[in-house]
Formats: sequence, structure tokens, C-alpha cells
Amino acid sequence: MNNNEHNVKSNKEPRPPKACGWMAEFENEHDLLHAAEKVRDAGYTKTDAFTPFPVHGIDHALGIKPTILPFIVLCAGLTGLCTALLMQWWMNGVDYKYIISGKPFGITPASIPVSFELTILFSAFTSVLGMLALNGLPKFSNPVFTNAKFDRATNDRFFLYVDATDKYYNRESVKELLSSVHANSLDEVIEDSTPSELPRWILLGALLIVLAGLIPAAIVLNMRASFSDLPRWHVFFDMDFQPKKKPQQTTTIFKDGRTMRPQVPGTISRGQLDQQDPFYLGYDPLKVKTTSIDGEKQIYVSTGDSVANVSAISPAVQPPAGTPASGTPASGTPASGTPASGATPALPFLEKLPIEANEENIKLGKAKYEIYCSACHGYSGFGDGLVSKRAASLAQDTWTPPSSLHLDRIQKQPVGQIFHTISKGQGKMASYASSITPQERWSIVLYVRALQRSRNANIEDVPVDQRGSLTAPAPSQTK
Amino acid sequence: MSSKYDLESIELPVTWKRLKPIFFAAGLILLAGGAFLSLFARGADGSTDSAFKFFMHSYLANFMFVMTIALGALFFILIQFVSRAGWSTSIRRIAELIMTTIPFLALMFIPIIAILFANYSAPYEWNVPAEVHSSVVKAKIDIGYLTKEWFSIRAVSYFVLWIAMAFYFFGHSRKQDETGDVEHSLARQKWAGPCIMIFALSVSFAAFDWVMSIDADWFSTIFGVYVFAAGMMAFFATTILISMALQNAGKLQSFVNVEHFHDMGKFMFGFIMFWSYIAFSQLLLYWYGNIPEETFWYQVRLQDGWQYLAYGLIPLHFAIPFLGTLSRHVRRHRLGLTFWAAWALAVHWLDMTFLVMPNAGAPSFMPIVGHLLGGIGMLLVFLSFFLVRASDVPLVPMKDPRLPEALTYANPLL
Repeated sequence: MNNNEHNVKSNKEPRPPKACGWMAEFENEHDLLHAAEKVRDAGYTKTDAFTPFPVHGIDHALGIKPTILPFIVLCAGLTGLCTALLMQWWMNGVDYKYIISGKPFGITPASIPVSFELTILFSAFTSVLGMLALNGLPKFSNPVFTNAKFDRATNDRFFLYVDATDKYYNRESVKELLSSVHANSLDEVIEDSTPSELPRWILLGALLIVLAGLIPAAIVLNMRASFSDLPRWHVFFDMDFQPKKKPQQTTTIFKDGRTMRPQVPGTISRGQLDQQDPFYLGYDPLKVKTTSIDGEKQIYVSTGDSVANVSAISPAVQPPAGTPASGTPASGTPASGTPASGATPALPFLEKLPIEANEENIKLGKAKYEIYCSACHGYSGFGDGLVSKRAASLAQDTWTPPSSLHLDRIQKQPVGQIFHTISKGQGKMASYASSITPQERWSIVLYVRALQRSRNANIEDVPVDQRGSLTAPAPSQTK
Repeated sequence: MSSKYDLESIELPVTWKRLKPIFFAAGLILLAGGAFLSLFARGADGSTDSAFKFFMHSYLANFMFVMTIALGALFFILIQFVSRAGWSTSIRRIAELIMTTIPFLALMFIPIIAILFANYSAPYEWNVPAEVHSSVVKAKIDIGYLTKEWFSIRAVSYFVLWIAMAFYFFGHSRKQDETGDVEHSLARQKWAGPCIMIFALSVSFAAFDWVMSIDADWFSTIFGVYVFAAGMMAFFATTILISMALQNAGKLQSFVNVEHFHDMGKFMFGFIMFWSYIAFSQLLLYWYGNIPEETFWYQVRLQDGWQYLAYGLIPLHFAIPFLGTLSRHVRRHRLGLTFWAAWALAVHWLDMTFLVMPNAGAPSFMPIVGHLLGGIGMLLVFLSFFLVRASDVPLVPMKDPRLPEALTYANPLL
């Protein structure tokens, strides 16, 4: 009481200090528990205990009711769950149906992790914020701090506080009750009388900072609403304008004006050794001769003695429709399929298979053919694969039917050309170079040759000891 | 300590001791009856081979049902010493007694090994390589992993490791009963950490060997964790039920209180959630990948009537018990907790059925009844093992230095 009065006297405020409640100090937790039980039994509910360490049973002794926070958190968690499910159903099932990995729209097992996370997120935020709200936090000051004795609550003393806002509070009767327990001392808690207003200079400083923070925004707004003839600022001039050339730019350094330099004749780029090998190309690149007339590149192919003009491709001009759209190899030799007529060999294609025609290669070719080719060309090569049939049944004019491999012109193609078709594509057929290795491609060519031959075989082609099995009429084999 | 408490209350009830042979005999009769129903009462759809296959799967599922409980107890003991837990001291002996049934359970595994050496393809199809069509399984056989010899060596190794761990921890606990020496606690604390690593690996591999290799085409690295999670939940359910029954028989009154039940209930709740988490993690990856070599395991479980079990596990093993045990008021309520513990034990049996049985083919009524009888029989045999262990041993480690902590333990009032 005495030091409280002292505090009051030192204050200039004319308002009389308000009493907030009574606080009793105890030597140990047993006295505190005993006193708390008495206070609880007397019916007071606006009470609190302050101890240096957690005291078991204090909640019960103070008569604190279990918190309703778990139920709030449960509601928040269910809200999170419903929010997540609703959000995913709306986004992926209604508003923006988008096929992801061929999965169904709306709620799927893949929605569970998001639902789980939002349940947890809502629950966690509600736990923390709800705890703060139910405890009335943050609270920067409490009247109990006015008593200097209270500092020992973090050290070695135990305090019990009865607040004056309790509905049964009566100053004298509470004092009497707390006097009857073994308290070290009993003090009336006086309202903290230090002024609660913020000092004027803090407010002024905050206002200045806020105003200063508006300056950049004001400049931006001004610039967006006005026009200027001045060039833009280049803060880092040498980064914006570097002394270098970029692809597709012109230059005066070289005679042809190009910044991108063509490959020096006779050189091979790193990792492109196979561009020079007939095994990887299907034709012999050494027999391909190129020359340049009036800036246009013209390709001449020497096939033995005769020289055939295949195509004239300007670097700037796209290949005409009908030729394959595959890219130009880096070796400088433009990929060129056969002209639409297909009569003359366009490139010096290999006439002879570079792999051995043995059973292993036939089997490999059959396996790869049935994986990659049969979908369109059909298992027997008649161009009647499932994709082709389906496309035909849809009867849309966008579909170019795949060629039958038994057409006369394809039978006459050299093996290298079939290899080239697989590698580079032909017409609507795309390149399979990235999926099928050269060895496998040659095996497929071998298998295609076998398929073709199977349609034009006679009895001499069958081994003597197996001819007997063919004498019985087989309806599907008649030709 | 001992003078303050009624020493009679830490002994097994006399009537319970008499139950040992009754439980054992009843369990064996039920197992035999279940076998009879599976083997001979199979309907017109089933041949002798498929009936035998169904029975072997049933036996394995029921064996895993009790084996996982005992393994859960072993892990519980290990984790108590890793974390130096005090609250659990008064119920720890019950877990120790469940843990020490592992040697008896090893005997129950002998029929499975015997069937392997008799060259039957049930329950493990890989045991007869001539009948295996899958190249994946053939490869696993060819490298020598899935052979009956190496399988048996591994099974024996798992049991040796588990029995060694169980008896190390139980032995120190019993010695401490006499001397009260704190050294026994310290020794167990020292070894609990390494033992947990051994436990994790051995249980994971045992789950791969015993359950996952039924369908040796399939693989799931999380499978061991799944079986572990299921076993932990079943262990807490079992311990809750045994403690409740002992208290109802007038024992442990001053040792086990609502706080311990509350904590075991929390653990059970946690492992209900953990099981769901693991089971769903496994499902989600395979559902999303949607690759035939991974999804066929679920395909088998989603046809021929097993789909009711598979979809039923979602509410029965997750949603209903999750919401049921969510509230602390339920977990602190004796009847409420007993109900949910019994529920958890029952769905654990369903879970093991879900893991093992669909590979035996479509279910029909009588074999399923046989499987259920076998499950009850296996549980009774397991309880008789527990009673054998518990007969001559005090039910509380009276001289454990952490016992006072357990006796004064209280959950904070929320």
C-alpha cells in the first residue's frame, strides 16, 4: 500500500487513481493453490495466478473452465477442408477444365493433399490467432506491474490476483478473504497512472515517414499520366549496349554481312561425326556435291556418271509443299526427300543394307516396326493401322492416309531411302530419329523388305523341307 | 514405494491365470475350425488348390494381425527409453509382456516356413518357379532373393533380432524389479537408439518378405511403414483394452489412471491418422502414375467383392475412428476409449485381411467365416501367450526410478 501511495503522489495527474483489484503474495505454490481454491469456492471467477514455473493443478484450483478454442479450431479446420474441396471442384471441374495427365476433372485423390494442407493452414492460424484473442493479447501493460513486488513473480514468489470487475467483487470482503490465507503480503493493485498517450514527437515522426513513403508512389503516378520526349534513363549503359553481335543481326565486318558464320568446309561439328557416315544418313554424303549460283545454294547429286539436279533451295525460302518439313542438318547439306514424282533417286541412297540380314535383326526390326510403324502402316504394311482406320472413320479431310509399303514405288526404293524416310519423315509422317536408333531403323528397313517380299514370294523362296506345310490351301495366304 | 501400495493389485488375477490353457485350446480349436471351413466348405466355385490357397492366406493375415501388435509393443518400449519417458512407467510392463510374446509368435510362423519347404505355391507363388509367369518375379527368384532358403534365413534373422531386443529390455526391467538399480534404466537408454534403427529396418524388410512378396510383381517402398503404422495403432488399442480389463478385475487401481488412458488414446488417435497418411501416400503415387505394373495391386483389391473392404477401410479405419477419438473428452472416458480401442483392433484385422487376402481370389461366404474364426482363434492364442508371460511377473515395474513420475503425471487442462 505504501509504495502505491508514493507512486500516486509523484504523479501530477489530478484524476484519482483507480483500484483494479487485490493481489496476494505467497512463499510457495502450496499456499497459492490453497488460497486459489478458497477464492474459487467463494465464487470469484475474474482471478489469475502468477508463478515462476508451471504449477500442476492451478487451472483446477482457480476454477478455469476448459477453453472453447478446440471447437473453434475444429470449425476452422472443417472450413479449410470445405474451402479446399470447393476451390478444386470449381477450378478444375467447372471453371477451367484442363486435362492434366489424363486425370478426371473435379475432386480426385490428387485433391486430398491440398485439402489436407488447407485444413491444417486454417487450423494453425486459428489456433494462434484464437489463442491470442481469447487471452486478450497482445496486452502491453497490466496494472499488476505497478507493484514493484510483482517483479519476483518471474523469480521466487507466487501471486494471486482478484480483479475488481468480478461480479461478486467487494473491496472489503476480498481483502478479508485474502487475509485469511497464508499470504506474505496483500496489496491493492492501483491503475497504472503514467500517461497512456503516445508522445507527440513519435506521432510526428510516424506521420513524416508515411508522407515520405508516398513520394515514390506520387512520382510513378505522375509519370503514368504524363508524356515526355526525353529518352529513357540507362542506369547501366554498358549493360544495355554491349559491344557484341547477336544471332540474326547484320555486320560490316564480314563481306556477306552475316553475324552468324557458316561452317568452314570440311569441318565437322563436335558430336556430329555421324553426319558423315552413310550408316547414320542412309546415303553417302561424299557423293553429294554442292555449288552456289547467285547466292542460291544448289545441290548436285552425282549418281555414278549422271548428275541430277535435285532441288534449288534458297536459304531464305521454305521448302515447297510436298517436300518434308524436317530441318536442315548442321553439316550444311539440306535434308531433301524425294520429289513428289519419286521416280529418280534424289540422294545417293544406299542400295545395300549396312547390317546383316540375320534372324536377330529381323526380330528386332519386327519388334520396333510393331511398336512404332504398325499404328499407321498396319501390321502387314498395307497402311491399315488402327490410327489410320480411326482417322478414316472420322472422315475428315485433314488426314493423309499412310502409304501401303507394298506399293510398286516403295518396293523400288533403295533401302537407304526407306531409312531416310524413317529418319527424316515424309509428308505427314514425322521423323522417328529421336525414338529409334540407327541400328533399329536399319532393322526395320530389313523387316519392311521381308514384308514386301512375303507378298511377292513364290515356292522357290520357301526352304525345301517346309514346302509341304504350304500345300494345304490357306485362305488368307492366297494371292 | 512398495509399502504404500497394495502388492496384490500388481498381480495377474487368479481367474486369469486359469484361462491360459482355455484360451490356448479354444484358440487352436477356432483356428482348426476356420481351417476346416476354408478347406472343405468351399463352394462349387473353388477347387482344392484354391481352397488351400485361401486358407494359407487367411493364416498369414491372422498371423500378421497379432504379430504387428507384438512388434508395436517392442517399438513402444524402445521409444520410451529413447525419449526417457516417465508417464508410461506404470503401463510399461504390460507392453513388455506383449513384447515378450514374440518367441511364441515365432513358433506360429513355423507352419509358413514348413509349407514353403513342402513346395506349395501358397501363400507365396514365387516358391514354385515353374508356376511363375512374370519376368519381374522370375528375376527376383533368379538373383536368389525370393527362394525358400534365403527367405527362411531372413525370417529367422528377424526373429532373432526382435527376441534379442525384447529380452534385453525385459531382462533389465526384471532385474530392476529386484535391485532398483538405476543402471538398468541407463543401459536400456543407451541401447534404445541403435535398437530402433535395427527395428525399423527389420520390420520394413519383414513386411516386404511376408506380406508384399505375396504379390512379388508389385513394389512399394513405404510398405514397411504402412505395416508399422497399422501395428502401432493395434498395439495401443490392445494395451488400452488389457489395462481396462485388469482395472475392471480390481488390479492396477492406484497405478493406472485416466491420464495414462488419455495418453494412450492420444497415441491411438495419432496412429489412426498416421496409418491413413501412409496408406493414402502409397495410393496417391500409384493413382497418379497410373502405370499398370504399379496399379494392379489395387486392381486386385478393387474387384471380386474385395472392393467393399477396400473402400470400407476409408470410413472404418480413418474417418469414423478419427472423428470418434478426436475429442479429449472421449479419450478420457473409460467406456468411450474402450469402445474405440476395440474398434481399432477390429479394423486392424480388416486391414491385414485387405493386405493379404485379395490375392487368394474371390471370397465366398464359408471361407470368410473360416477366416474370421481363425482371426479370433489367433487372438485367443496370442492372449494365452500374454497370460503365460504375465503369470509370474508383477504388472508394474515397482522399483523403476521413473515410477513416481508416472504416478503423479497429469495432462494439462486445456
